[in-house]
Amino acid sequence: MLQMAPGDWRLALEGIGWFRVRDGCRISWERWDDSVSDRDLRTFVVTSCLGALLIQRGALVLNATTLVRDGKAVLLLGSPVSGKSTLAWCLLQQGWQLLSSELSVVDDQGLVWPGLQQLKLWHDSAVALDLDWSELPLVRRGLKRYSLLPPQLPVANQAAPLALIYGMGAREKKPPPMTAVVDDGMASMPAVGEVRAFQMQSERAALLRIRDQAYQPRFYRAMGQEVNLFLKASSLVQLGGGYLLEVPEGISRMLQAVKAVDLLYPDALVDNAANQADGVAA
Amino acid sequence: MTASLDQGYWYLASYPKSGNTWCRVFITELQRLAALPEPEPLNLNLDIQTGTIASSRYWLNDQLGINSCDLSFAELDPLRGKAGASALLYSEGERFHKVHDAFVSPDSKGRPVVNTQGCQGAVYIVRHPEDVVVSLSHFNSWDLSQCVDSLLNPQEALVPSERFGGKQVRQHMGRWDQHVDSWLQQKQIPLLAIRYEDMLANGVETFTALAKFLGLPDDGALIENAINNTSIDRLRTMEDELGGFVENPKGCERFFRSGRTGEGAEQLTLEQRRRLASALKRGMDRFGYEGPDGAAAKTD
Repeated sequence: MLQMAPGDWRLALEGIGWFRVRDGCRISWERWDDSVSDRDLRTFVVTSCLGALLIQRGALVLNATTLVRDGKAVLLLGSPVSGKSTLAWCLLQQGWQLLSSELSVVDDQGLVWPGLQQLKLWHDSAVALDLDWSELPLVRRGLKRYSLLPPQLPVANQAAPLALIYGMGAREKKPPPMTAVVDDGMASMPAVGEVRAFQMQSERAALLRIRDQAYQPRFYRAMGQEVNLFLKASSLVQLGGGYLLEVPEGISRMLQAVKAVDLLYPDALVDNAANQADGVAA
Repeated sequence: MTASLDQGYWYLASYPKSGNTWCRVFITELQRLAALPEPEPLNLNLDIQTGTIASSRYWLNDQLGINSCDLSFAELDPLRGKAGASALLYSEGERFHKVHDAFVSPDSKGRPVVNTQGCQGAVYIVRHPEDVVVSLSHFNSWDLSQCVDSLLNPQEALVPSERFGGKQVRQHMGRWDQHVDSWLQQKQIPLLAIRYEDMLANGVETFTALAKFLGLPDDGALIENAINNTSIDRLRTMEDELGGFVENPKGCERFFRSGRTGEGAEQLTLEQRRRLASALKRGMDRFGYEGPDGAAAKTD
């Protein structure tokens, strides 16, 4: 269903449509049948197609949602379902603005560009965040995912200098505790307020993290842009400011926890003791 | 140009709690022993990297070129068989992919939910359903009655909810015997069926057949060492020493528990055993599994 060559990217998505991106300047599509809505098409045009187009142009496109405050951009770097959107929504309640969701582009000057500005929240997240999900538009008909769009979201529309990168998720695979969870189901969860950051302790670790979180790495390889990806990722690493972010489990805990922290000042989040045994160090 | 195919890959397919993880640990240890005569002791939490689970959303996104969260499970199932011909970029070498899905799902339009192009074959691991019930009960912290119901449910699935985004997509399993049939009756890829009970009772013979089928080293001494190093007692000790196993779900006391056969017959009520035997008779007969009211002949 994916066909790729330098300057030519095609996706046949059964039941949705056919998409083609050429030479970094042209996106075309055809719907599968009349039951396919514009929203269905748009969902894939502004993600996979836009990502392919930017990669064809030689841009560094990352799996990241970018937020801005005080003119500084912070990247939340992570795969789909890593919790970027939910965390972003929590941070938007604390004065941040959304610059780009789902995929983010960082240029050679270290500026992050405005991009897609749509947070997609699963039903359970919307409920946990106390949103009136019945009033929210669906990402697509048939999904239990909702779109949050401007003006519901505070957004920024000017490119902003990258200040920090936060990789989403734990530093390494850790086993759950062997003892059974007690009745309230909270026994193993971190205390409220426990947002922690772990500095990526080597450039290599940071480079691999960024490479792995490039938007669809297979696109880069198949379209002859893999070397470019490495070069741009290396340049990004030189800017510094790479951390892994650990947030409390449970959305309501996360919502409370982010009120007590400032992501522009990661030193306060760094757990020095844990960093001594940091599993991401090369 | 399409993504190039790799050298080949296999599936390790089973209904949950049937010995799949044990097989993956054995394969890991066999390869380690074949590569180095005296490797460092096996670390369950670092070394078991036999291949991405076929239901991994991360892998599907990589292969399909989309964010699979933007598709419903019903839309995704017919596409899943087109994903997986290539290894996940940057992430793995070995390709023994764990699968808990039935070979086809009600939404997959009759197509396999796993890729068969370039696939070298599948090992299907089967275990007495009564013992699966007991193991499932510990793993999910469900009572036995709920577990019996789940094995008998034609719509049974892992990660069935579309209300949250899981790192794995929905895996339709159906009723236990439907799961068995889906894999044993497919003709698209070679299949080796092994019984959990034979992994325990006839380890050398069973694991040698497994190694041969997967194209792994099958030297007798290597096989015996790998079996000894991955016995249930050793795995329990490792789990204790490591303070847990990364694949253990929260709330489950331990992953490697007793490993015994016959626990279902001891712990299930007669009525529960009869429900299983009545509904699953064909699949149980196929593997010589007895219900409460008599033996069934094992057929090949």
